[in-house]
Formats: sequence, C-alpha cells, structure tokens
Amino acid sequence: MTPQYHVALSDITHGLIDWRMWGRLGWQETKRRYRRTMIGPFWTTLSLGIFIFTLGLLWAQLWKQDPKSYLPFLCSGMLVWVMLSTIITEGCAVFTAAEGLIKQLRFPYTLLACSVVWRNFIVFLHNLLIFILVAIYAQVPLTRHSFLVVPGLLLVFLNGIWVVTLLGLLCSRFRDIQQIVTSILQVAMFVTPILWTAQQLGPRFTKFVDYNFLFHYVEIVRAPLLGQAPSDWSWFVTVVGTVLGWGFTLYLFSCFRRRMPYWLWGAVVLASLVRANITGEFPI
Amino acid sequence: MPHHQRVTVRALENLSLTLKHGDRLGIVGHNGAGKSTLLRVCAGVCEPCQGRVNIEGHVSPLFTTSPGLDGDDSGYENIITCGLFLGMTRNEINRKIADIEQFTELGDYLSLPVRTYSTGMLVRLGFAIATAIDPEILILDEGLGAGDARFAERAKKRVDALIERSSILVLASHSDLLIQSMCNRAILLNRGSMAASGGVDEVIEAYHEMSAKQAEGIS
Repeated sequence: MTPQYHVALSDITHGLIDWRMWGRLGWQETKRRYRRTMIGPFWTTLSLGIFIFTLGLLWAQLWKQDPKSYLPFLCSGMLVWVMLSTIITEGCAVFTAAEGLIKQLRFPYTLLACSVVWRNFIVFLHNLLIFILVAIYAQVPLTRHSFLVVPGLLLVFLNGIWVVTLLGLLCSRFRDIQQIVTSILQVAMFVTPILWTAQQLGPRFTKFVDYNFLFHYVEIVRAPLLGQAPSDWSWFVTVVGTVLGWGFTLYLFSCFRRRMPYWLWGAVVLASLVRANITGEFPI
Repeated sequence: MPHHQRVTVRALENLSLTLKHGDRLGIVGHNGAGKSTLLRVCAGVCEPCQGRVNIEGHVSPLFTTSPGLDGDDSGYENIITCGLFLGMTRNEINRKIADIEQFTELGDYLSLPVRTYSTGMLVRLGFAIATAIDPEILILDEGLGAGDARFAERAKKRVDALIERSSILVLASHSDLLIQSMCNRAILLNRGSMAASGGVDEVIEAYHEMSAKQAEGIS
C-alpha cells in the first residue's frame, strides 16, 4: 500500500484545528455523564479518592513511609495513570464506536482522537480535586517547578492523540488488540512506579524503571504536581517518544486511512459469512 | 474448501463519470448493483483501490437521516452536533433552528433527550436536520424518507427544495417516478459496471429491458 502522506497530514491538521467540533464532542460526552446523576463524573473521583486515601494510608504503614510524603505521591501518580490508561483503552474503540459517522461522512478522523483526549482531560480536572485536598493536608509546596505541569500535560496530550489514532486504526482491523492492550495496561500499572517509588526498588533495578517509557509520561506530570522538576531523562524519553510515535502513526495512517471504512464494514460481512475469510482488501 | 479462499468482491469497475454544475444524475439498478457504493465513492467515504475521484466543492452525503445523533442529548443539542457534522457553521445552524422547529412540530420535545421520542418523531428530527443544509454537491440515497404518511407530502416538498438549492445532485433510487421528476440524466448500473448512460427516459427503459431479460432467463 503506497502511503498517502498528504491525505494523512491534511486529516491530522484539519482534525487538530477543528477545536469547535472535538471540543463539542468531548463536552457533550461529559455532560451525558452528569445526566440523571447528582454528581456525574465525580463518582469516579469519589471512588478514586477512597482508593487513594485508604490504600495510601495502609501502604504507608506497611512500607514504613511517611503518609505526608507517600499520599501526595500515590495520588498524583494515580491521577495521571488513570488519565493515561483511559486514553489508551478508549483509543482502541475510538473508530469502531464512530462507525456510523465514518461510513457516511468524509471528515478528519483525528478529530475523534482529539475529543477522546479532551474529555479525559476534563475528567482529570475533576479528579484533581482529590490532589488539591491531599496537597493541603500534606502541605505539598508550590515551587517554580510546579508550572512545568503545563508543558508536561501538553506533551501527554500530544502523545495521546497519536496513541488514540494508532490504536483506533489497528483495532478497527484487528479487534483482538483491544484485549491485548487492556491486559498489558493492567500489568503495567503494577510494574510502573505509581504505587511504589523508584527508590524503593534499590540501585540494582533502576534500569528497569529508566527504560519504562510509561513511567516517564507519568513523571512529567507527577513531578511538577509534587513541586519537583522531572529529570532530563524523562523529558528526553517523552520528547523522543512523541517524535517516533507521531512518525510511526503518520506512516500507518497514510497507508491505511483509506481502508478503515472498509474494515469497519468488514466486521459486518465477517459476521454474516461465517466461513468466508475476508481480508482488508475490499470487503463490501 | 471455501473457507480457505479469499472472497473478493468487486463492487465497481470500469466506471467513468463527469458531473458539472446543474447536473442531476439518477442512478438506477438492481439491489447489489453498486449504487450505494458509487454514492459512497462520490462522497469520498470509500476511496477506490484503483482509479481517481476528483471532487471540486463541498459534498453533502445523506445516507441515513442523522449522522451523529445521540439518544441522551436533547433535540436542540442534536441539531447543533449533526449540523456541524453536515458541514454547517454555528451561525448557519442558529439561522435554521426556527425552520427545523416549524417542520418537525416537536415543540417542547426539542428540549427533551432524543431517547424519549417515538420512532416517527426521531425520523422527523433527523430528516429536518439533514434537509436543512445548503448543499453544493448533494448525494442522496432513496432511504432518506420521512416515514409517517401525514408528513410524506411536506417531506417531499422539503426534499424538492433541498435539491433545488444544490448545484449537483447524485440520486440513487428504485423509483422511476423520483428519478424522472428530479434528474436530467441517468446511468444504469449492473454488477458494478455502467450498463447504460444518457437521458433519464432511455436509461429507465434500458433498466426495464434488462429486468425483463433477466426475468426470462430465470423462468
């Protein structure tokens, strides 16, 4: 398949620019979560808050840590992790869920990726309330490094868009990928220093953390929230990740953007023709 | 061993077509002849694996009545979302709202979630939004209808006005009457290829001949 870079690039730029559209889609989705409930998305905030407070205090005791330093660490890490992992899981379904639109309109698909990232940012802002409470309790200092949270978040969003686009594209062809991604994320949460600190691992295993790129994406937002500066290595890994990720996504998107509507139909055909082996070539 | 074979469907082949301002093209053919596929290719939804599609202007495809309609959103909210997806700006949508209110006769229901609507009400809303656009190139599948008999006549007027506003029309339909009243040229599709092209009446005649021949062949 010859890549059509101009089509993919135009999709991406038009998608990013059309903030009215993805802003609206993400906002409507958030409003829907508020309907017929009294506190809407704050339910996830509440359950996350309970998780952080109870387990935070328990683990601080178990691992002989000071709750005033462990709780803010756990809280900020969990907030960022919840945002990252939800963006990734929702990314898998982004195009299959918008099947109806993709099959009848020509529009920049990247728009849908932006709306996933945007609505997860809105949820993140809801959850930030827990951190503010924890920060007041633990007296987390507000330093000049705190402002690094802005570039940190921007970098996360920039990566979120390629991740969602890439996973959405792959999952519209191979539905199994969603299962693989969910399984990996479950394990990733425990091997990434969110519940435990990198220092606890001891010097022998620091490489294990240094090469975990998910850790660095968490770190560029978490460290500023804690009033610290992320390490240069974290900035380096995430910036390189952004460039490589976008490059790879652009390549695959250029090759397969045009095929995606067919893939979305393919599933319908596959379900009806039980024995037929239909590939992405041209199933109608 | 059928399940080891790759099933390849060639939906369209050897098809060449140029449409200019003022052209109203009707597409006729049996089910599965490729009508909807051709419409989707014209709309840029499906890109052909061989050949070229050159579109100048904004294409408005109307395959189902309501792109992006969400059950939990109110009628008004859906008017805006669907309108944006159909390529309208917020100002254009605001200008059309009165017209949509008047056509749908939904009144206060427009402030309720669309999920509470009856099927007929939902069809009316979707139809009213879809037909509110000012299309340059209008791609219309015959499925776009207003169901409910009381609205049929008004719906027809609305579609007529919509077509009137468009610069180019591509319409697929099984109804000779619709094609004859709306189009100034037509093509006949058979198994993905163009079997006839030209004036509306001659193409429809060719279509009936083809149907008759095939019916003979079967009996």
